[in-house]
Amino acid sequence: MAELNQEPMTKAQLEYLRRQRTREMRQQLVSFGLMIFLTFIAFGLAGMEIIPAQFTIPIVLGFAFIQVILQFYYFMHMKDNGHQFAKLFMLTGFYFALAFCVTFVYIVWIGAPVN
Amino acid sequence: MAQTSARKQGVGSVIWEYLTTVDHKKIAILYLIAGGFFFVLGGIEAMLIRIQLAVPNNDFLSAGLFNEMITMHGTTMIFLAAMPLLFAFMNATVPLQIGARDLAFPFLNSLGVWLFIFGGIFLNLSWFMGGAPDAGWTSYASLSIASPGHGIDFYALGLQISGAGTLITGINFATTIITMRAPGMTYMRMPLMTWTTLVASVLIVFAFPPLTIGIFLLIFDRMFGSNFFIVEAGGNTIIWEHLFWIFGHPEVYILILPAFGIFSEIFATFARKRLFGYSAMVFATVLIGFFGFMVWAHHMFTVGLGPTANAIFAVATMAIAVPTGIKIFNWIATIWGGSIEFTTPMLYALAFIPSFTMGGVTGIMQAAAPADYQYHDSYFIVAHFHYVIVGGVVFALLAGLHYYWPIMFNTMLNETLGKITFWFFFIGFHMTFLIQHFLGLWGMPRRVFTYLDGQGYNAANMISTIGAFLMAIAVIVLVVNIIITLVKNERVGMDPWGDGRTLEWSIPLPVPYYNFAQIPLVRGLDAYWVEKKEGNGKMMPSESLGDFHMPNNSILPVVMSLGLFIAAFGAMYFPDGKEWAIDAVSGLDTKPWALPVLMIGLAITFVSMGIRSWKDDLGYYVTKEEVERDLEELERGGK
Repeated sequence: MAELNQEPMTKAQLEYLRRQRTREMRQQLVSFGLMIFLTFIAFGLAGMEIIPAQFTIPIVLGFAFIQVILQFYYFMHMKDNGHQFAKLFMLTGFYFALAFCVTFVYIVWIGAPVN
Repeated sequence: MAQTSARKQGVGSVIWEYLTTVDHKKIAILYLIAGGFFFVLGGIEAMLIRIQLAVPNNDFLSAGLFNEMITMHGTTMIFLAAMPLLFAFMNATVPLQIGARDLAFPFLNSLGVWLFIFGGIFLNLSWFMGGAPDAGWTSYASLSIASPGHGIDFYALGLQISGAGTLITGINFATTIITMRAPGMTYMRMPLMTWTTLVASVLIVFAFPPLTIGIFLLIFDRMFGSNFFIVEAGGNTIIWEHLFWIFGHPEVYILILPAFGIFSEIFATFARKRLFGYSAMVFATVLIGFFGFMVWAHHMFTVGLGPTANAIFAVATMAIAVPTGIKIFNWIATIWGGSIEFTTPMLYALAFIPSFTMGGVTGIMQAAAPADYQYHDSYFIVAHFHYVIVGGVVFALLAGLHYYWPIMFNTMLNETLGKITFWFFFIGFHMTFLIQHFLGLWGMPRRVFTYLDGQGYNAANMISTIGAFLMAIAVIVLVVNIIITLVKNERVGMDPWGDGRTLEWSIPLPVPYYNFAQIPLVRGLDAYWVEKKEGNGKMMPSESLGDFHMPNNSILPVVMSLGLFIAAFGAMYFPDGKEWAIDAVSGLDTKPWALPVLMIGLAITFVSMGIRSWKDDLGYYVTKEEVERDLEELERGGK
């Protein structure tokens, strides 16, 4: 059973990697904080009922959308290079899934009880 | 750990080598053998169907057996013959075409082939264990829930196992082509075979999950007491139809796209011309793949979806004819003015253009929803899909077999016998299926086990049966050809067709187990042709000679697949005689051993997955010295 051949890193490489990781960590923390903050606002809006419900719903949905983007891009590394294919696949997947859901609701009569 | 393929081996060690192999070239041979076996099996079933239908009021097969025969013919040909045979050619060529030493996940490649083999064996054991599935290859839910006995269980469990293998292989090929191309091999320099494999793999990744879900729901309904498709209990059988065709329509493109790929290579090689309109071909391939997901309901026009839904799906379906037409014209333009060599693969390719176009045109006829009410469930449909699948996919498989045989086995199939096969197959095919268009228009429904005398169907059915016998003769000649070639074993050298254009022909035969001593540098489309015309006829290396990493063989894929195979028996007999079970099996004797068998089978699979996860298997290095030795030997052999 052979070991994997690995070159030891040079000092400069190590330094570069460490800087990259620090920046990554900072971005993760910022987006994490932002997401917590958005969640608090959403809970607050829904709980305290300071504005009417028909405004609260789109605002909360908007916050949810922002959170999804942050999740994908910062926590799941979609912002990094070399993820074009993953992005393409996910968008295509979303599109197909949406098409299938629309069909199932409108022409398989699953939607009938909803109306 | 490294074995040299030249060494003489005993029978036992050869079998062990193939059971444990993770080498894409050997897995290609496994796919070819298993797929070829199922192809012959499905062919025998087809012959029995045609014998039954040859004369009116025939009682060669009983009605029930006929239903089992058509179901197994369709299921076997699609899932166990056509797709695995395409995987055989993809495995044999794609890593070589993109300049890779193996697939991205060699272990998963092996798992894929063994899941397919065990799933196929499980499905076909139904013949000996109480009757085969009999609800058609589409297995529509109300019919399949009502089907008594275990036939449908064999279908559901067998396809679930082999479908998992296909999904794994699809992910594997997509990853390989995206990440493992040689330096210089940009997307727009990939050979068409690689492009179509990529798009077909992406289609597999998106299309197989709906099938998996559909079959799981069917398994739960039939074996574990759920009510997804049982209308009395609030279920909905239309959901099965949608899930099946959301998978089923992309499936036909999964089959035909690699066939297009094989033909594109053959046209360019034997017309000795660069493929006409390469970028349009790539664009058309991707577009067909995308449209393929938006048209599934055209199989369900008569279900009652309403005029709006029917109109949308009709228009979307007709749109697919545009990229397909682009391809047809590009192939014609490729051979136009080329220096054509009529080899066996080229004959198939030339015959493919009119045959497939005929199937495509009847497809457009059916896309018109109101007209489809007339064609639905008639022999017109049978004629249509046999024209596209046999005239497209099977022609490609036979062409690919002759074309890629030297890469897989280092010998050449006999050209004379190959041409005899072609003519028998070509004439037999048109004789069998052309007349079926008219049978359908005259009103003969599909899936009936016999018909009455005096309805005007007699002569046409007899002609169709005679055609089927001609195709059988063609396959027998092909088998004889293969046996003669294997026995003679006359080795051929590099680039045996003499006009190879792509990377796979630039490799010495037999292909070394590591494929490339040095990963080549690709300087344009048709990389090898570029070097022949502008260079010294040899690929330039993109790296210096050095050690490289290769994966170890493993028996675990076989064990994992065997575990699922055993578990499937447990699941199948689990509901027998249970109070909550569906009517189809509640009257049978209870089988107390079913649950333990299910658990033992799953335990085998999960334990072997655990071993794979926790026991490190780091592979080995091929040393520079070994590669140099091989290169020297090659040099000596060449002079």
